[in-house]
Amino acid sequence: MIADRQQLDNAMEIVTPENIAFRYQVAGPFRRLPAYLIDLVIRGAMFVGGTIVVWLVFGLAGLPGLGIGLSLVLWFALGWFYGGLFETFWNGQTPGKRLMRIRVLSVDGQPINGLQAVLRNVLRALDQQPAIFFLVGLVTASLNDRFQRMGDLACGTMVVIEEGPWFRGVIRLSDPEAIRLAGQIPASFQASATMARALAAYVERRGNILPMRRLEIARHLAEPLRAKFDLPPGTDPDMLLCGLYQRTFITDWDGRTSARTGSPFREAKSPQGTSETARPQDAAPGNAGGSPQAVATADRAQARWSASEDSP
Amino acid sequence: MKVSDLLKSRQAKWGELERLCSLIEGSARRKLDPAMVARFSSLYRAACADLAMADAYRLPPTTIHYLHRLVGRAHNQLYRSRRFNVATWTRQLMVDVPRRLFSDNCLRLAFCIFWGMFLLSGFLAYTMPGYSEQAMGKLYTMQLEEMYSQPVQDRGRAASGGMAGGGMAGFYIHHNTSIGLQCFAFGLLFGVAGLFVTATNAVLLGASFGHMAAGPHADNFYHFVTAHGPFELTAIVLSAAAGMKLGFSLIDTGGLTRTASLRRTAVDAMPTMGAAMVMFLLAALIEAFLSPSAAPYWIKASVAVLSAALLVVYFVVLGYPQED
Repeated sequence: MIADRQQLDNAMEIVTPENIAFRYQVAGPFRRLPAYLIDLVIRGAMFVGGTIVVWLVFGLAGLPGLGIGLSLVLWFALGWFYGGLFETFWNGQTPGKRLMRIRVLSVDGQPINGLQAVLRNVLRALDQQPAIFFLVGLVTASLNDRFQRMGDLACGTMVVIEEGPWFRGVIRLSDPEAIRLAGQIPASFQASATMARALAAYVERRGNILPMRRLEIARHLAEPLRAKFDLPPGTDPDMLLCGLYQRTFITDWDGRTSARTGSPFREAKSPQGTSETARPQDAAPGNAGGSPQAVATADRAQARWSASEDSP
Repeated sequence: MKVSDLLKSRQAKWGELERLCSLIEGSARRKLDPAMVARFSSLYRAACADLAMADAYRLPPTTIHYLHRLVGRAHNQLYRSRRFNVATWTRQLMVDVPRRLFSDNCLRLAFCIFWGMFLLSGFLAYTMPGYSEQAMGKLYTMQLEEMYSQPVQDRGRAASGGMAGGGMAGFYIHHNTSIGLQCFAFGLLFGVAGLFVTATNAVLLGASFGHMAAGPHADNFYHFVTAHGPFELTAIVLSAAAGMKLGFSLIDTGGLTRTASLRRTAVDAMPTMGAAMVMFLLAALIEAFLSPSAAPYWIKASVAVLSAALLVVYFVVLGYPQED
């Protein structure tokens, strides 16, 4: 189930039963340690609370010895099985893991079962050696690419980051120069997939780049394109890339945005489902508009997508 | 159609899927509304389809990243952790584990090492006066002598500081089972650490037995240890063997990769550890209630014989290879 290992960073690819590959980020020590410490505190609090209750109950019943015994059993159970039980019943998470937004999964992306959860927590006794410094676990984890400690290796699990997704759509360009340039780009131009990716990456980051540096970066792509489009030599490379972005992602060649209302932009964080946009999923990907004109546009776009891999 | 149009048309669904994810994450599985679950799974499949087409749609990288996270999050709610399969536990413990252990080389090795070292150390401690102090250290020897200087029934009361049997049972469950689980976990270090822990425990225990047998408090000592000895010592051997098996699976992989071999063995080792923990539990109950009591020695001895017989039945009769 695991895709071939072509991994550059801590992203693991997983193929689901729906036959779609999606990526996870493996959690490193700087997330797992705080989660562990939080769990340690919670465990301590549970022990103290449980002990007080047990002692009160059995103390009043005149059996203080049994109370002490039960609190020791509680200590034993919390020490060895706290993580295992939580991970079984909370779908791979303990309270600490939930707070740190990480989750235990099998390496093939499946959820873990009770056996795996208990085993990986029992084997922590080895991982935390020497004493409580987790050197064994740290060394083992740094030697494999899923950051698995001994316990994870033994039961085939990994810890992944599961952050709440924040929607990020296309960027609204306010610069009139970019809009103007977008209109001057020839109608036949269609960015290839790699160029579209490069344009998106550039425009999303350009806010963090100083103007001089922007020119430096943008020039490499903008100069050849400027010559190709017959634009005047003084054209700002940064603005040209913004115009290309506008053309690729937002408007068509005649500068017309879609007639429909609503905002795809990243400011729109939590849109409400409206009857207009909630359509059956099995509609063709391009057939989103509903109006004949939009369908025609979509068909044209489809045709260009299929023929676009050889564009500049 | 441009990307912005596409996003506009999809965004509501993605947002709805997000909201359903948060809803499902926070609630118990049984209380979920079936209609909502159906809606959730259809939205999930839609998001999967969008992710599959992301390259063809020319979605910007940040949106693809968002989709990866969204699909991952929904995937984890749709496919949830499986619980323990309690129905199979009896069969595992009574049929699978003894049969597996009967032909388990690691158990044989651990058994030989433990009892070999134990007997050797006991013999040495019994015959050579200075040995036990060298093996166990002066302090521990003195503590041991002091501990058993009084008859068991007095000692039990004194040592536990008024803790009744229940209290001591808790202590033994906590203490001894933890030792067993540690033996198991340490075995993973290529079996070497497991061998070391097993041997150390054997030498210490053997020296204590030999030393006390030679000393003046032999009666008190054996009065205390006889009854729970069989279960406890077997449980230690068992957990050490399970750990060692994990460690050796890293060396002798049987043609698999080391991690795959380890994973396969670990699944086998868990029921064995379950058996060991049951034995630790029995030992702890006997140790807490019967061992420190004033019951005559023949009762304790017969409990020891009975438990040894149970172990033989478990390992040999239940374990003997046979066809179902």
